[in-house]
Amino acid sequence: MSEEGAKLYDEVKEKVETLKDEKSIHRKFADIWRLACIGKYRSFDLRYLYDDTSREYVEKYKPAMIEAKEKFLENIEDYVDQCLNVMEKTNKFKVYYAKTNEEAQEAFMKELGDNKVIYKSKSLEAKDAGIIDALKENNIEIKETDLGDVLCQLLEYESPSFTLGPGIQFTEEEIVAKIKERYGVELEPKAEKIVKYYRENYRPELLNDVKVSLTSANAISAHDGSIVLIENEGNISVLTRATDKHIVVAGISKIVPDEFDALMVAKLQERITNVDAGYISIISSPSSTSDIQGTRVFGMYGAKEVVVILVDDWRTEAAKENLFYKDMLKCISCKSCDFVCTASRAFGNIYASKYGIGGINIVRDYIHNGIEEAVKDGLFLCTGCENCTNWCPAGVDLAEMIKNLKKIATEKGLCPPTLKKYQEKIIEDKNPFK
Amino acid sequence: MGMKLIYLGCLSSTKYTDTCENAIQIINKIDDEYKVLEEAPCCGALAYHITPDTTLEEHVNLVNDWFKKNNVEKIVTICAGCYNYLTYYYPKYKADEFEVVVEHLLQFMAKPENIDKLDLKYDGKKLRVCYHDACHLRNADIPIIDEPREILNSINKVEVFEMENNKLNSICCGAGGGVYATFKENSDYNTKSIFDQMRRGKALITACPFCYTAFKRVAEEENMKKPIIKFEDFIIKIMNGVDPLK
Ligand code: SF4
Ligand code: SF4
Repeated sequence: MSEEGAKLYDEVKEKVETLKDEKSIHRKFADIWRLACIGKYRSFDLRYLYDDTSREYVEKYKPAMIEAKEKFLENIEDYVDQCLNVMEKTNKFKVYYAKTNEEAQEAFMKELGDNKVIYKSKSLEAKDAGIIDALKENNIEIKETDLGDVLCQLLEYESPSFTLGPGIQFTEEEIVAKIKERYGVELEPKAEKIVKYYRENYRPELLNDVKVSLTSANAISAHDGSIVLIENEGNISVLTRATDKHIVVAGISKIVPDEFDALMVAKLQERITNVDAGYISIISSPSSTSDIQGTRVFGMYGAKEVVVILVDDWRTEAAKENLFYKDMLKCISCKSCDFVCTASRAFGNIYASKYGIGGINIVRDYIHNGIEEAVKDGLFLCTGCENCTNWCPAGVDLAEMIKNLKKIATEKGLCPPTLKKYQEKIIEDKNPFK
Repeated sequence: MGMKLIYLGCLSSTKYTDTCENAIQIINKIDDEYKVLEEAPCCGALAYHITPDTTLEEHVNLVNDWFKKNNVEKIVTICAGCYNYLTYYYPKYKADEFEVVVEHLLQFMAKPENIDKLDLKYDGKKLRVCYHDACHLRNADIPIIDEPREILNSINKVEVFEMENNKLNSICCGAGGGVYATFKENSDYNTKSIFDQMRRGKALITACPFCYTAFKRVAEEENMKKPIIKFEDFIIKIMNGVDPLK
């Protein structure tokens, strides 16, 4: 193993070691995360919410989902063109096609103009495009709106967290203590009280003050350019309506052939994670009215302007060159592969990258930052169990992508020594245990 | 007629020779034409995720040539990893050239005519056992999930007690992919969660030598009272009329 490999290996070992300390950041996350995983995993086959189980639901729509994704991948350039066209001409969106992340960042900063604050919902896509980093560099104040993310900001939590419940690791006591410290308000340590506090104090700001908002998209229809967004809190509904300018940042891989495919993505996400998604927004134009003499005027009550930044960066290349991480383009970010992941369950947010927890975000880190980062993210914690691949509703072979990363790492001398020894013995002695 | 091979796999043939004997006995009771060959090369499963494609292909070729040289037509393997690899990666690298019919011991045993031949009887008190679905079996190209249950439930007074996470939802032992040798914390946690779910099951039965190794270590460290038993060993004890839990 190379020196670099040994260093990375030690770094991961050190993090794993902290799991023994009940107060460590990783352990606190792991404790709650493990409970969540076991619960979710079991719930796949329960019939307590609807007539069918989530597994049955997924099985029913999986073929159609995979077909939609594959159709898109086969004709990626045509679908992107079609989508850009209809968004601009019919939907009256302002559209950017960003070839690279840098172009996306530039477009975003241009659209932000003189504004020094941005309100946002969860947006892995903006992170992927490096926009969040760019905002930080430019000293733009980032205001999260998903309560979990708001709490992460409040408690200055920097470690990777779970996208679907980012504040899940904080206790009520920790939260109210911080609120008291920060805002001088004393609250009873109860979830209801904390929610009430934010409803009363933060909601008015969201309804009145937002000039520019940022969201991602769960799916985009190439056929009619609709943007589909799914949520449970209502923050996305607010951010997409009570704003002057709504900026959508999404990778082109969010595009699916038509609006029904897009809705399928949203519904699958909802069912598969059993996270209730009370609201689905389908946005096909900025707010407008033609009530005065039939003249169409934009910006009645909703967003005056909708700006869409579609980011390509690594995507078309991955599809056309058939790169090993091409399957990333099929991912609908349902995050359910994390619940079933052996490494994720054992190691929580140690098996994670700066983009979030789990194998899929380790592949993402590799794409943007190289193999060393992936190894640092705990690449070799994966057992190759293939639970992720087996469960994925979109046909993403995550286990195979991770295997490919391990091969690349090994070629660079970054493979843990014991594992490397097995390999050498297999190839040379035809038996690793002799 | 080609040869019928019992493919033991590197871990079992090196570390678990008693189990190999038991497996051979079971297989030969059903069909005595199946044989073990000395110096069988390892299938390579343990290294496939870290080995470059070209090296891997060379190894697959080497093993395949060895099969050809010995005129192997059918294989029964007792290893979950070998099964997974031989049924997925070998056809993938060798395409139509890979002609060997590969079965796992569980599939082989579960055929109705074979279960009959084994004539499994148990006269003790009603016995509930848990079966661990190894990833390499349940997530294989042709999944093996029902077979072990059919075999165990066919034994009178023996019954599979399903853990909450079972079949496709099973928890992995955390030892696969060589992680056992590098980050044993993975199996520490995952294996304990499997043990926690055994509840009324009196023993944990596994058909994977890798899972077994991980279970055994954690069971010892945790002072687990219930036995961990390899599938073949359990069946042989039933066949020999001795207490299967001892
Ligand atoms: S890889 Fe599959 S299961 Fe994982 S987040 Fe993407 S779509 Fe969901
Ligand atoms: S193969 Fe690796 S990434 Fe996939 S579920 Fe298993 S441990 Fe997780």
